[in-house]
Amino acid sequence: MKLSALKCGQKGRITKMDGAGPLKRRLMDMGVLVGEEVKMEKVAPLGDPLEVTIKSYKLSLRKKEADGILVEVVA
Amino acid sequence: MSTSANSTSQVHAVHAHGKIKKQITIAVAGNPNSGKSTLINAIAGTRLHVGNWAGVTVGKKSAFFEYEGTSITIADLPGTYSLSPYSQEEIIARDYLVHEKPDVIIDVVDATNLERNLYLTTQIMELGIPVVLALNIYDEAENKGFKIDFAKMAGILGIKVVRTIATRKTGLDDLMRAAIACAENPAAHAPKRLNYGGDIEASAKILEDHLRQDHPSVAAAMPPRWLALKLMEGDTHVLEKTGLDESGLLGKTLRHLRAAHGEDIESIMADARYAQAAGLTREVLKKPDIRKLELTEKIDKIALNRFLGIPIFLAAMWLVFKLAFDVSAPFSDWIDGVRSGPLTRWAGVLLNALHAPAWLGSLAIDGVLSGAGFVLVFVPVISLIMFLITFLEGSGYMARAAFVMDRLMHSIGLHGKSFIPMLLGFGCNVPAIYATRVLESERDKKLTAFLIPLMSCGARLPVYVVFIGTFFAANSGTALWSMYVLGIVIAILIGLLLKATMFKKEAPVFIMELPPYRMPTGRDLMIHTWQKTKHFVVKAGTVILAMSVLVWFLLNIPWGVQNKKDSLMGRMGQDAAPVLEPAGFGNWQAASSLMAGVMAKEIVVGTMAEIYAPKKEEKKDAPSFAEDLKGIGTSFIQAVKEAGSNVFGGLGIKSLSSSESPEEKAGHAPLRHALLGAFTPLQAYAFMAFVLLYWPCLITAIAMKQEFGSWKIYGQAVLIHSALAWTVAVLIFQGGKFLGLG
Repeated sequence: MKLSALKCGQKGRITKMDGAGPLKRRLMDMGVLVGEEVKMEKVAPLGDPLEVTIKSYKLSLRKKEADGILVEVVA
Repeated sequence: MSTSANSTSQVHAVHAHGKIKKQITIAVAGNPNSGKSTLINAIAGTRLHVGNWAGVTVGKKSAFFEYEGTSITIADLPGTYSLSPYSQEEIIARDYLVHEKPDVIIDVVDATNLERNLYLTTQIMELGIPVVLALNIYDEAENKGFKIDFAKMAGILGIKVVRTIATRKTGLDDLMRAAIACAENPAAHAPKRLNYGGDIEASAKILEDHLRQDHPSVAAAMPPRWLALKLMEGDTHVLEKTGLDESGLLGKTLRHLRAAHGEDIESIMADARYAQAAGLTREVLKKPDIRKLELTEKIDKIALNRFLGIPIFLAAMWLVFKLAFDVSAPFSDWIDGVRSGPLTRWAGVLLNALHAPAWLGSLAIDGVLSGAGFVLVFVPVISLIMFLITFLEGSGYMARAAFVMDRLMHSIGLHGKSFIPMLLGFGCNVPAIYATRVLESERDKKLTAFLIPLMSCGARLPVYVVFIGTFFAANSGTALWSMYVLGIVIAILIGLLLKATMFKKEAPVFIMELPPYRMPTGRDLMIHTWQKTKHFVVKAGTVILAMSVLVWFLLNIPWGVQNKKDSLMGRMGQDAAPVLEPAGFGNWQAASSLMAGVMAKEIVVGTMAEIYAPKKEEKKDAPSFAEDLKGIGTSFIQAVKEAGSNVFGGLGIKSLSSSESPEEKAGHAPLRHALLGAFTPLQAYAFMAFVLLYWPCLITAIAMKQEFGSWKIYGQAVLIHSALAWTVAVLIFQGGKFLGLG
């Protein structure tokens, strides 16, 4: 499923990252890598962007960017 | 970036004052929010010189000073998460490290966020330059119960590790001494080679040998291992710089790698580096078993709450606005009062005593003194806003503001962080342009700077006040409101238009860390505020003074001109008037006033008053020197009181109210009378819209020049906004006439 589909408080493990170029590289440099665990923290009051925890820090990204990241839910 | 002459990695020994002195260059690198800026401020303090990196909007800080007998040049690199070639900051940082070859790199690492920070460390270590790791924010890590075995860390990495708490200036001497020791003996402090695993290492080795053998000049200019790794990543920037191409052995090795791993070699490298960072973190960091809910998370539960997030944001913005403008306004008025009162009188007395001719007196007072006063009037508001912006950024709330507002701003092609500069624009466009600094990408900065002048600033109020009071007194509130709304609506339209045209190519991204809330240090706040204000006074001072003198000449040439209509300015007004005809105010008076408004829009009113209703010379008894001095003192105390009562006296923003004091009303009476004869209400409304939208004032121009490094963006803004103003004014006037309102 897409990262953006995780519910608040739910954790997932990244299985695939779409795309290429600067956007993907930027995400990888920030620690968004296949196999990494992410936790959905919050959705902004107006519905976008999202806040997630990854590598024990808080990262925010737009839904559009989170759509290219696929995850499997972990308990 | 140029390769400077002194780019050897040896420690220089220079003879100064007869004894031998050591001279070293230190580069400071680190993640954003790692406390790097605080660390640099604590080390260099007011010796920091602030400028821009050549040709870009990224700020550059450097300092030159002596430390325990060593001459130190310190360069602060932009905060980055990586040294990949995608963002401007990353390119600047790595070009500096690769080409300028500093003697030692201080890598500032946030001890509370080891793994992600160490990812950058692995990349810095690839350069082969001695590295000292500053394990910063150490106090916060200890409070969280983290135990970091920094000696083990130093052993694994083969570099010196120093614990620092930059906010309390702890560990900085150790850090400097470690850096100097490394620079003195680089061979003994070369960082270890991190092993990225069999395949990568084997290929890197082949490439490295190949570079040394077949491209010795390239291998000598840049660290070969770093170059080899970058080539494997398919780094186009490096290929361009070195002139290498993918033929021969280089291409063969790369193809072999890609065949083994697929095209996704970049991810493999990122994985390998993160694996190193993660492995190291596991080795040296012990976290407590039970994780407490941190303060940041508690605050964010409320500050980013679905229902409370926006009201809290709006309340915070209201407070910022009120503090910025209602507190600064009385002081600006005070400066203006001192300039137009005592200083002008004293200058007059002095010029008289020197038997200066009348024209020289007029030039000195109306040209030079008023120009200088003009710059100083901006000092209170610019310093206050810089203070507040630094606070918002340093505390971590700026990132939250962006998080809350992004959806709205994104819809017109902007970034969440654009909101605050735009909002400040309603007070004054000048500090608002400076505030675009909070945005990271050049695209977002420029787009925001384009739209800021459409936010109706405080200097446009005097124009509205006079015209609304004269023509729309019955509906003054609505008339004033409509001006603000007009500006916002047009900003939205222009934003959408620019997003689809000029800024189409660059795709906006929003990938932003939400750093923990932290209390900014007083030192940081002071240094940033002081630097920006000083910069403004120096840079704006010269340009404004020159312009002010120029305007004086335009109004006084030909020599001894009596009627303003015959002055050069008046004649320019006459020439320009026909252009304004379709907008309803094609007369030289309006045109000349608008031209004078290039300095600042409120000058439009002053010029109109002079043209339509010249004041008669009033003969008053001049106060004595002592009375003047006392007056300056008492009016300053008055300003302090007023600033206080502005903050605590009610919710409204005073600097946005259109009410006039009784004196102002009396002062404007002759002008109003003249305007009633010269304008119809429809023409007056079109004129107000024109003043709202036409070219951004000269001080805004200087701010744009300072932030963007060239006049080009101001040139574009002048063309776009003036065309816009004319179009809108014509539409209003012609549309109104068509509807029978004229």
